Amino acid sequence: MTDGDRSLADRIASFRERVEEWLHGFYHGMIEHPSFEKIEKEAEDVEDTFLFACFADAFGIPSPVSYYTVELLPYLADEFEAWERRMWDRGSLLERKGQQYHFH
Amino acid sequence: MEKFVFFGGKGGVGKTTVSSAYALKCAEAGLKTLVVSTDPAHSTSDVFDQDFDDEPTPVDGHEGLWAMELDPEEEVERHMGEIRRRMNEQVSAAIVNEIDRQIELAHRTPGAYEAALFDRFIEVMREADDYDRVVFDTSPTGGTLRLLALPDFLGEWIERLVAKRAKSVDLFEKAAVGDREARRKLDEDPLIAHLQGRKEKFEFAGRTLREDAAFFLVLNPDELSIRETERAVAEMAEQDLAVEGFVVNRVTPAPDDDEQGRGATWLRDRVETERERIAEIRREFDEPVVAEIESRVREVKGDLLAAVADELAIDVDPPPAEA
Repeated sequence: MTDGDRSLADRIASFRERVEEWLHGFYHGMIEHPSFEKIEKEAEDVEDTFLFACFADAFGIPSPVSYYTVELLPYLADEFEAWERRMWDRGSLLERKGQQYHFH
Repeated sequence: MEKFVFFGGKGGVGKTTVSSAYALKCAEAGLKTLVVSTDPAHSTSDVFDQDFDDEPTPVDGHEGLWAMELDPEEEVERHMGEIRRRMNEQVSAAIVNEIDRQIELAHRTPGAYEAALFDRFIEVMREADDYDRVVFDTSPTGGTLRLLALPDFLGEWIERLVAKRAKSVDLFEKAAVGDREARRKLDEDPLIAHLQGRKEKFEFAGRTLREDAAFFLVLNPDELSIRETERAVAEMAEQDLAVEGFVVNRVTPAPDDDEQGRGATWLRDRVETERERIAEIRREFDEPVVAEIESRVREVKGDLLAAVADELAIDVDPPPAEA
């Protein structure tokens, strides 16, 4: 099995850049004004990014480490399933992100 | 000589012959030796006329010599099966079905094959206490180099994952004020434990490759082979892995002086060109040429293997006694 000319190391590096960019854009400036509810939400969000970093290939971004991270699934199954549903469903994702800002 | 000896090089240069011959030489010097083939087109079986599998098996007719052939394909399947089994133990069937796609996916990525092979490398190195020397006959250059570059990259990657996970767990703990039970706890998080375990494995591999391993590159006396070797040496230097020497294999034997036929003339030309190439190798590289092995008409096995072993000027001294 080959994977072109790019070495695995290169692929890991560029994948990491992509994830970091994603993290940065998505969670910028969300740590101010903590409330307990907010902390827990924040915790959930960090967990989401953790899941994304582990299983980005679920969304078509080839992850060079997925062979190793899939070993975590037995501990993460419920969270993974919920996360994947959330991520695929744009509507529910926006709604969830909106909740934290108490617009109403 | 270090305990772990790797023979790498381009496909088809005769790595299996050279590594088998070296293993034989070690065994004959009284070292308990294991030769590990990682080439998917296993030819260790052909060299010794005996079938080998994933378990070290004594080689018939050679005292102190064992051989095994790693099958990454099989290892990927085993890995997948193991995860499914653990899932079934811990998670409800409905969820398992949902997630099965992900498990399948992760085992079909291009890196899976390399990761599986790397895992087996680490295991073999960890369980090598019984042997004085372990000889790795590694798959063609590119793949091998990628494998050797893995420990650093993966170690760093896992560190970041652990930091991320630790942060979310920490936030969950902070959110649990008063009577509320934290949804996750740092010191009992199985994920962090698992990732740490992985990291330690990679660190072990990196350390072992740097401190207890010697690398030799096998090449043929032709332009292509030399260029490929040049690249390999440079890439390995980047990984802090020193190449100890080169084995020049498939050197054309010179005809006797009184032979004058067309064949002899052809051979003389050929030998001439190859001499230049070998001189080039000696001139251009800092690493020594530890053997020039002549082409054999017949496949190298049996007695021929012993003859090839004699041509290898790689010492077989046991590794220094462990502290």
